[in-house]
Amino acid sequence: MIRLQRVTKRYGDTIAVNELSLEVNQGEVCILIGPSGCGKTTTLRMINRLIEVTSGHIFVNGQETSQIKPEKLRQSIGYAIQSVGLFPHLTVAANIAVVPELLHWEKDRITRRIEELLALVNLNPREYAGKYPSQLSGGEAQRIGVARALAANPPILLMDEPFGAVDPLTRQKLQSQFISIQQKLKKTIILVTHDLNEAIRLADRIAIMESGKLVQYDTPQVILSRPANKFVHDFVGTDRALKRLSSISIEGFVKPAPSVMIDASNREIASVIGYRRYAWVVDKNGKLLGWLDRTNLNEATSVRETMVQGDIEEIAIPNNATLHEALARMLGQGFKSIPVVDEKGKFIGEVTLSDVEAATAEMES
Amino acid sequence: MVTRDSVATAGSAIGLVSLLFGWLTLKPNRLAAGTSLNLWETTGWGGTAIIFSLWLICFVLSLRGKERRPAAALSITANLIIIIILILAGLIASQLRQEETSLIRISLGSGIWLSLAGAYMVIFAARQRLPNWPVWRNLASWTGLAGIGVLLITGWLNDLSILQEFAGRQERFVQELGQHIILFSGSVTAGALLGIPLGIWAVRSKRVASPVFFITSITQTMPSLALFGLLIAPLSALSFAFPVLREFGIRGVGATPAIIAIIIYSLLPIVRNTFVSLTQIDPAVTDAGLGMGMSRFQLFRRVQVPLAAPLVLEGVRTASVQAVGNTAVAALIGAGGLGWFIFQGLGQAAADLIILGAIPIITLALVVDTLMRNIVRLSTPKGLAGGNQ
Ligand SMILES: Nc1ncnc2c1ncn2[C@@H]1O[C@H](COP(=O)(O)OP(=O)(O)OP(=O)(O)O)[C@@H](O)[C@H]1O
Ligand SMILES: [Mg+2]
Repeated sequence: MIRLQRVTKRYGDTIAVNELSLEVNQGEVCILIGPSGCGKTTTLRMINRLIEVTSGHIFVNGQETSQIKPEKLRQSIGYAIQSVGLFPHLTVAANIAVVPELLHWEKDRITRRIEELLALVNLNPREYAGKYPSQLSGGEAQRIGVARALAANPPILLMDEPFGAVDPLTRQKLQSQFISIQQKLKKTIILVTHDLNEAIRLADRIAIMESGKLVQYDTPQVILSRPANKFVHDFVGTDRALKRLSSISIEGFVKPAPSVMIDASNREIASVIGYRRYAWVVDKNGKLLGWLDRTNLNEATSVRETMVQGDIEEIAIPNNATLHEALARMLGQGFKSIPVVDEKGKFIGEVTLSDVEAATAEMES
Repeated sequence: MVTRDSVATAGSAIGLVSLLFGWLTLKPNRLAAGTSLNLWETTGWGGTAIIFSLWLICFVLSLRGKERRPAAALSITANLIIIIILILAGLIASQLRQEETSLIRISLGSGIWLSLAGAYMVIFAARQRLPNWPVWRNLASWTGLAGIGVLLITGWLNDLSILQEFAGRQERFVQELGQHIILFSGSVTAGALLGIPLGIWAVRSKRVASPVFFITSITQTMPSLALFGLLIAPLSALSFAFPVLREFGIRGVGATPAIIAIIIYSLLPIVRNTFVSLTQIDPAVTDAGLGMGMSRFQLFRRVQVPLAAPLVLEGVRTASVQAVGNTAVAALIGAGGLGWFIFQGLGQAAADLIILGAIPIITLALVVDTLMRNIVRLSTPKGLAGGNQ
């Protein structure tokens, strides 16, 4: 889908990108990572010809890019940059409409597309379409930036630190959204980041660069377990085992766990949770509400009175989270297990500390 | 919290003090020395009481803090003062002229000028407090001037010396006003047609930028009279060398050097603002535009022009207001315009003739300023004007 063949970019004496060859398959996420100044942005911008190569060839869909008119090429490749660069004089809707308008789409189609995309990045179209960029938070602006890059439904996306300018919590949410969007859309994506955990979480393959050169290009698992040289080894760091947890989804580790309805009687509780001390509490639709410590429950009290209620986002993790997150949350809260919920907040099961330990041990061996 | 409005208070204080100065000046004829009459000698104690109490109200209101209501009341009172003072002045002037000989000249004294200045200080301060009440804001700015306009048109002020100066030169006045407007607006238009592309060019090429800013800044620091003078020599040399140029009005004196000088003056604000307006655009925005597949021209038209327009027009506004003033000086080298009355008046030591030139120039500058401010406001894209709201 995207193929770089011995691509070099020189600025006078400095070589920004040096004989770089890279191939990204259709529907794959390739993450470019490396120290500052190693040539990531330059590589990305040579693909859509914002920078012309000094030597080498770049192919998109088998066609050499130097044969395509730059404007045409760029209209078919979504581009999201770190600083977002929304047009401040245009509304959110008009920002998203830019490329469709360049492509002369019909008005109705553009309007529908705007609503679709805002929904896709989890922003209410009615609330956000008419806003101006100055009225958005950093995280909202970045989501609009991504929506704008997706506007004309390009098969390829180039993203330069798209989640760069937000706090860690928002960043995690944006990453989760990225994963679920990518599961739906199956784009071919090259994404630049500085954050190894982000790379491990999002990538099908990671390309590690050092001063203009590609030093290793492989799946997160291989990069973590078999670093190609000392540079990659050091770059990946000493906590490789922990980082590897970032590449593993909790899905395979979710176990069924006892849950009780909020209006259950004491006898029902006893039959459901058996010898366990704790149980998760749900409402009649199966939505997680909190947890219950059975020792606090006696004849005189009800579940409703004794249970600990909490904000779902805080007490539970979504089922597309990673083992790394699950571990961090359990350690942070001092619990031996954490409940897992689906997108709608419905209780699915739990992940336990001992399962995570077992997984780590298995990877080491 | 009550914070005093010190500008309005100062204006009111000037108004109160002005009552002690000469209110009208009487001269037996146009050029003779005059005698000064006090407020109470001209309007009697009734008129004095009215004006005094209006100024007192202003003073008290100005101490009432910066809320909107006192500000609105303040602007009404100040406008009222302006209109009442002029109504009384016109009335008394016509009475005096009926009693005495019609050769007698009656001019406004320093007290009236001070009062008017004080009133406009109050109005200026008060209208700052009314940004969200646009109707009130406009009323505050223009009621007094509209009142003066009505008094002028109805002939109420015809017995004042300025109007008599005007009566003898009505045709000339219209002609010079027209000349003034043509000179300044034509020069600024040419300045914009030259300056905007120059500014764009300076953005694109560093090599152009430094000499352009060097030259425009140097000329800006030159007094306008000096620049007019500097242009006389080369232009007269040129017109003597090529007499045919004289057919097109190109001479050492007259409109040509004036237009050239005023164009040069309007260049700096326009070039500078164009340059800044384009360089201040977030590079990420241009980058995003190109990255999405806009052509250079599409980027220019859809992104750079709308984002730069308010600041460019702001430069045109500065240049225009400045050009109205510079055009006044241009009368000295024979370019005509309202400055002609000022220099004639200076030559004849006829103060009222000077004022006949000066006041329309000030009014013109104010009108141009307001007009351009509104154009700048209208050209500002909504997303830029509001900020977080
Ligand atoms: N226009 C230019 N002229 C000269 N040198 C440049 C230019 N653009 C980039 N470089 C150099 O090329 C190298 C690679 O730059 P690039 O922006 O691709 O780095 P990066 O990996 O994206 O860094 P970062 O992580 O800080 O964004 C750097 O050493 C930079 O100084
Ligand atoms: Mg970069």
